[in-house]
Amino acid sequence: MSAVGNAAPAASPPLRAIIRGAGFIGLGVIGVVVGLADVLARAPANAENVGPPLLPPSAQFPFGTDILGRDMASETLHALAVTATAAGFGALVTVLAGGLLGFLAARLPWGLGLFSRWIAGVLGAVPTLLLGILLIGLTERSFAPLAAGLAAAPIAFLRSFDRARELSFSRHAEFARATGISRNALLRRDLAYEFRDTFLVNATRALAAVAIILSTVSFLGFGATPPHRDLGLMIGAARDTYFDHWWTATFPAAALALLILCARLAAALEEGERP
Amino acid sequence: MWRFGLRQAGRLALGLLGAIILAALVSAAAEHGSSAYGRAVLAHLLGFGRLDFGTSAISDRPAWTELARRLPATLELLGFGAVVAVVIGAPVGILLSAGRVLRAGAPLMQIVAAAPVFCAGLGLLWLSERVLHWTGGPRDTSFLAALMSGDLGAVQAELRAVALPALTVGAAGAASVQLSLRRAVSRAAGEPYRRGLHAMGLGRFEIDRVYLVPQIVAGLLHSLGEVASSLLAATAVAEWVFGWHGAADLFLKSVALQDWTVVALVLLVFAALTMTAEFLGVMGARLLAGTERAA
Repeated sequence: MSAVGNAAPAASPPLRAIIRGAGFIGLGVIGVVVGLADVLARAPANAENVGPPLLPPSAQFPFGTDILGRDMASETLHALAVTATAAGFGALVTVLAGGLLGFLAARLPWGLGLFSRWIAGVLGAVPTLLLGILLIGLTERSFAPLAAGLAAAPIAFLRSFDRARELSFSRHAEFARATGISRNALLRRDLAYEFRDTFLVNATRALAAVAIILSTVSFLGFGATPPHRDLGLMIGAARDTYFDHWWTATFPAAALALLILCARLAAALEEGERP
Repeated sequence: MWRFGLRQAGRLALGLLGAIILAALVSAAAEHGSSAYGRAVLAHLLGFGRLDFGTSAISDRPAWTELARRLPATLELLGFGAVVAVVIGAPVGILLSAGRVLRAGAPLMQIVAAAPVFCAGLGLLWLSERVLHWTGGPRDTSFLAALMSGDLGAVQAELRAVALPALTVGAAGAASVQLSLRRAVSRAAGEPYRRGLHAMGLGRFEIDRVYLVPQIVAGLLHSLGEVASSLLAATAVAEWVFGWHGAADLFLKSVALQDWTVVALVLLVFAALTMTAEFLGVMGARLLAGTERAA
């Protein structure tokens, strides 16, 4: 059999649009849930002894309770709100410090653009997770969302820089230069079109990347601190109990995976593609 | 080819230089005040030139000695992870690109890819202990040492110890491997030469074997840097989850204790590993492309 005889193309444009739409709807629902977290949750964040400790899921406690008798459903909602809010802020940092700066740097004169690309390339060679942990270590834990956003920025910078370079050598750019249109006018035009066409994709891609970094650093003990527990910290705290009480880690992990999945779908990432 | 090789080697050298400067900047993080910091950066840069990577603030031993004790465990985990990544990723990549029916499995891949590595590691740990009633077992020595000793029991014990972390790291790498393969297959499938050669009487298998396979392998090699980066990031998490005392674990502990000389050295080594993998991948892809042209 030929290996590529029936090679399937990537998802067709209508299917891709449906997938992206599903991702955005999912993110919208998560946004509403996050906004109403305090209303939807039956117990306030970190309210202990709401029920007996380590109670399995039941009609009264749909996600069960943890070792301190906290309602897991309420805790997961509050933690999702913390994770999504922090990841949203981090994603904005990535888009600005990575996407926007990368696009602008590609048009810098006197080799400054290539110099900045070299710096981003060096930072991009360090795994984003380690870069995030390093930035938190150099500052403090409360800066974790900013650190996660900055850690994801080099990859976004490189992607944006290469795209801008490609655009600057495109036919429309050559035509513009030949007809005397200034570099700044061309940059403004390209930036406006780039923003219109790719902002949502870049932002959701960054959201997925930052959510992974943030939850992982919290799991490793470098991110969120009580009482502002995020999903990574909840999963990390359940390490000792989840073998016998699976619900203490499963529901926060499912909520985290759902957030990342929706962001991945909205960004139209391919299966297995890194955000 | 020579010109391409020299250009790539130059890029690698520049990248390594950048990584060294980054390491010097991190090493000097303990210094306060801009002039003291500047002097410390310069001193560290000069030290790196003499292969002196500083002293650990915690153990008071050379940072290189600290890393040398931990790095073999990380490389071992990376090696096993890479094998798992290829063993899982290659068939999945080929299957997913081989037809519409198999493409139906793609949404499942999206869901799997959405789970962060630490969730996958914890899930694997739970599955192995609670469902399969199988525990990884403690780690006594390294796999290589066990293999050299010729003791089959020790080799088995090492394989048991490395299985779960390697599966976790490999699963993260497999995602990159299958994606690279699918992209390469998709690119190669659109090449007009396949139809032309078929019209000239060559069998599809022959065309694929001689022309297509090198193209696909070249595509995979081209992504080697990205695959290496995925594996390294996953290693950091797997070492923490499974209590594997490697370089990434050392990095986490050193950041927590603000031992910046060790942190800088681990960063330097990890960045160098990624850059070298990228260089080797690009060169290998180019060599294969040359071989394909010659064929």
